Amino acid sequence: MSDTAQETLVTTASQRPPFYRDATVVKWIAQVATLVVVLFALIFLALQAGDNVSAKGIKTGFDFLDVDPGINLNGTIDNDPDTGGRALWAGMVNTLRLSIGGIVAATLLGILVGVTRLSKNWMASKVASVFIEYMRNIPLLVHIILFFAIMQTAPSFSDDVGPLNGWVHFSNKGVSVPRVFQADGFYQWLTFLLIGAVVGNLVRRRQQRVQDETGATTYPLGSLVAVIAVFGVIGWFLHPLFGWLDGVFSTIAEAVDKIPQAAMQIALTVLAVVLAVNWIRRFLNSRRTPAGLAKLTDDDWFRMIFAGVGAAIAAAVIWVVWPGGSSWLINSTRDLFEVASDKFGAGRDSWQNDRPLGAARPDFAEGRFANPGSAGLNFSAGFAAVFFGIVLYTAAFIAEIVRGGILAVPKGQTEAAQAIGLRRATMLRRVILPQAFRVSLPPLGNQYLNLTKNTSLAIAVGASELVQVGQTIGNQTGKNLEVFAIWMLFYLACSLTISVVVNFFNVRLAIVER
Amino acid sequence: MSDLLSSEIDLEKVLAGADEELAVRPDEPSLPPLEWAGKNLFGTGQGSIGAIVRGTFLTVIFAGLALLAYRAVLNFIFSENAGWDSVRINLRLLFTQAYPDENYTRVWVTVGVVAVLAGLSLGMTKVGPGFSFKRIATWLFSWGGLIVLGVLLREPSVLTDSNGETRFADSRGVELVRDTNNSLVYQNNDPAPSTGISALRENFGAAMGDRLGWWIIGLALLAIGAAIWFVLGDLRRRTTFVPAIPLALAGIGLLVSTTWWYRWGHYTFTEEGGFEYGPGELVATSTRIPWTIMFVLLVVAYLGGRLLARATASGPIRIGLSAAWLLAPFFTYYAILRGPIMDWAHVVSTDLPLWVLFAGLGGALLWLLTRPGLGEIGRILAVVVLAAAAFTWVGAFFGWFSMLQKVRLSVLFLGLTALLAPNFIGEARQRMKLVVGWVGFITIFHLLVTLINTASSIETPSEDFAGGFMVTIYVALFTMLFSFPLGVLLALARTSRMPLFRVMATVYIEAFRGVPLITMLFFFTVFVNIFLPGSMELSLMAAVTIAFVLFSAAYLAENVRGGMQAIRRGQYEASDALGLTTVQRTGFIVLPQALRVSIPPLVGQTIATFKETSLLAIVGVFDFLRMARDVVPAQTEFLGTRKPGLLFISAVYFIGAYAMSKYSQRLEKKLGVGER
Repeated sequence: MSDTAQETLVTTASQRPPFYRDATVVKWIAQVATLVVVLFALIFLALQAGDNVSAKGIKTGFDFLDVDPGINLNGTIDNDPDTGGRALWAGMVNTLRLSIGGIVAATLLGILVGVTRLSKNWMASKVASVFIEYMRNIPLLVHIILFFAIMQTAPSFSDDVGPLNGWVHFSNKGVSVPRVFQADGFYQWLTFLLIGAVVGNLVRRRQQRVQDETGATTYPLGSLVAVIAVFGVIGWFLHPLFGWLDGVFSTIAEAVDKIPQAAMQIALTVLAVVLAVNWIRRFLNSRRTPAGLAKLTDDDWFRMIFAGVGAAIAAAVIWVVWPGGSSWLINSTRDLFEVASDKFGAGRDSWQNDRPLGAARPDFAEGRFANPGSAGLNFSAGFAAVFFGIVLYTAAFIAEIVRGGILAVPKGQTEAAQAIGLRRATMLRRVILPQAFRVSLPPLGNQYLNLTKNTSLAIAVGASELVQVGQTIGNQTGKNLEVFAIWMLFYLACSLTISVVVNFFNVRLAIVER
Repeated sequence: MSDLLSSEIDLEKVLAGADEELAVRPDEPSLPPLEWAGKNLFGTGQGSIGAIVRGTFLTVIFAGLALLAYRAVLNFIFSENAGWDSVRINLRLLFTQAYPDENYTRVWVTVGVVAVLAGLSLGMTKVGPGFSFKRIATWLFSWGGLIVLGVLLREPSVLTDSNGETRFADSRGVELVRDTNNSLVYQNNDPAPSTGISALRENFGAAMGDRLGWWIIGLALLAIGAAIWFVLGDLRRRTTFVPAIPLALAGIGLLVSTTWWYRWGHYTFTEEGGFEYGPGELVATSTRIPWTIMFVLLVVAYLGGRLLARATASGPIRIGLSAAWLLAPFFTYYAILRGPIMDWAHVVSTDLPLWVLFAGLGGALLWLLTRPGLGEIGRILAVVVLAAAAFTWVGAFFGWFSMLQKVRLSVLFLGLTALLAPNFIGEARQRMKLVVGWVGFITIFHLLVTLINTASSIETPSEDFAGGFMVTIYVALFTMLFSFPLGVLLALARTSRMPLFRVMATVYIEAFRGVPLITMLFFFTVFVNIFLPGSMELSLMAAVTIAFVLFSAAYLAENVRGGMQAIRRGQYEASDALGLTTVQRTGFIVLPQALRVSIPPLVGQTIATFKETSLLAIVGVFDFLRMARDVVPAQTEFLGTRKPGLLFISAVYFIGAYAMSKYSQRLEKKLGVGER
């Protein structure tokens, strides 16, 4: 028997192996089989869902977005929304507020705590580490609920509740602080600042070049800030000069409105095709060696086919699945420019009409806790608990990341900086922190993602944000699946945005290897 | 015992730097206290005035902050109406929800299993040298100092009476009122008005008398610390270590001994709505005797573990112990806590024969398939078995024939294992490994299916038979156990060179990582029944556990993938050069290295899961947080008393997470991650 086995081995060695021994074939069979099983399971579940939903007499669809949901929100831009879509939008705005404010505050606090933890001073570093350990070893939800409980037992709400009478209030209804708001002319002033930034950047690059070429001490960053400041001061008085911009924007809005839907569809299709072709071309280029095109594996083929299929799917969506998408795109672009033109228009109703910025103290109209935005900056108790919860919690993690980043800078760098006689501050700014930042950026991005997702815990204390609003609407209308889809899309979009921003900086900061 | 103690102190291990950081580093020359304070607190010794000013400024600021925070915490903890009774009386509720009294022994058996396993593991692990006397002295000294500082810092208590008005009491609990100058005085104007430090000065005697216990404890700790520091000062060599585990056991013993003089949880609610002190009618619902038994079990198991470790080779015992730890959650949850009502007729008529069939015939099949020189027959047979398994599923789907789910799954597993068989072709010992593995797997699998399908005899008010901290622990454990294999599979798929697998894994991972956990929990608790066939329904616990497993697996996969990227290319090339198959390369070369590198992030993920279980409170599970947030404050005696309960569960979460993170740091050091 062994002889025959030997023989077959010899004879088949020169030919292709039988299909069940051919690695490529077996791998593809396994993949396709798995894909079929997964698809089959998904289709089965979808069919089942269809049956169950029709059996219960629930109608699916997104029409609830246009119907009055009959719910009341708290602490949002629109506490009595007319439509479901508006309610969800108000929730999204609150999620974004929490996320963006939280990211800024947590980053600042985290850097402060992280640096304090590395302090030579025993007391300072101990206090910082106790804070970090306390915050990050207890679930965020427990923190939030504890803060909420503490806030509920705070002094009763009244006009003169402390701690800074008239300016900062801490009561059982929440926290109120003064607010800076944009008054008439703010956007014109912002235009000045923008021009200042562009000019300042030119100056900065020039100074940097001079410093690099001649070694003379220039102050690139300082001059950038100075130029922007000068433009800011000038703009403060001359901001009406840009009043004509609203005309420009409204013209653009009208022009956009006149684009026919078909033109938009064609443009989008062309864009998709061009992107796919471009991607394939670049991919092939990357596989090209001096000896010619490298042999493509079936994985490579798959990637290229995938890109082509992606373009085809995009085209199908544009023309067949959702033809209204193009006109939706046109409408929203027009709306965007109309809003912009509105911002630049004169006669906006505000307290101080002659300054771009104004400030308002917290104000309790008729003894009621005002909505955010009407006077001071008011956090309702739930909102404040969530905000301070996620900020303190994330700050503890960021502090550890910052500390790890600083410790990851090799000791030789510090020693070298000392050897060439840099002062302590210069050493920190020029040598240590840039390298520490490079190490800590990816985990920092992860923390930002976590923070954004953690805002959803607001549901535990009844503060209105996307998940809480969605949950309420879902309970009222039974459109849980649709709401879930909106949640997923929104959070995926947020994650994607943060990833893109972090990646952008990550690529810029990466070590250029030679 | 002394023999054991001295055996802990192993000079060679100490010098080899086995574990403890103190052993690795040579002792830093310790500064005299004044010099130390000058250097670390007031910036002296750098020779610049600026450093001194900066150091002093920082110290004053942060010391002030710390003192304020400490005082605020103390004032809350010791204020007369903080409501700590709500925690003390509801301890049983917080940890096990309303687990029925008459079955409470089951809870203790569960704790006992854990205690025995923990004792055995502790006895068998080689822990580092322990703690130096110096370090212990520092601990005692700082705790004593903190307690004394606390007694000194406490201000008169702030009370809120039933009308919501703020009232004050001094540290003895005697009421104070505000006079016309808005300063605090005693009600009959007898003693002088007093707040803060002045209150302390004027009522020093009273304050001392009131807090006499705390004074004694604090001062005693200070004295013991000082004694160890100075008397054993000449012993401050590197080898004078107190072994860590006996020290920890002594600490636990001290804690257990408090049940004999303090009334932890020894309360029963009366008919009139109040509560009274008493152990109840059952020993199991008291604390003294059960906890003492647990402690004795722990110590005995520890000593037994030490003896075992010395007497026999550690390899098989270690494997057995790991298996016991892996099985303990299932065993305790399904076999002990649920009180399963076994249908013995069914067990004898169906379950046992099936087990014999699969273990015996399956084992024999695998034994045959691993014979050398079998050629392609093995693979073909395996594919045939797989096809049969697939056919049973299809048949069940179209309702051609009925078959136990267990059988279908078993056939599927048999086919998959048979596909793996060619990797185990070799000598009898090699082949035996696969067969033993298969028999062990099928035994556990069948046992589990039977247990899970068996009805529970425990009657509780809510759907779940476990609540409170128990549910937190079990969800975390099951999540880790199930999500680990799934995560590894996903990581393999995502790094695979097979495009469809990669795409599917990537879509899965990114989708789950992109959304908040709470939305996933909502999906699985609220919407999932829409997707299931009409007859099927997921229980709440099963639904949340599945949600946690799927969610956690996506994160685990990324951790494992990170570990895989740390593997050098040469490893792959070397395994290819040896002619290993893909399965062999993955199982014997790639995964062992990748998992070793990713152990610290995996522990991190465990901590995260442990903390994330608190989200269960939002979706309606009576977990630890829900008990403290909703259930206890709803009792008439403690209406609205949330803060003490929340602080208490914070402390429990903190202890768990902190211990795990410390463990992960030690592990990281031991594995030398980032140093190779």
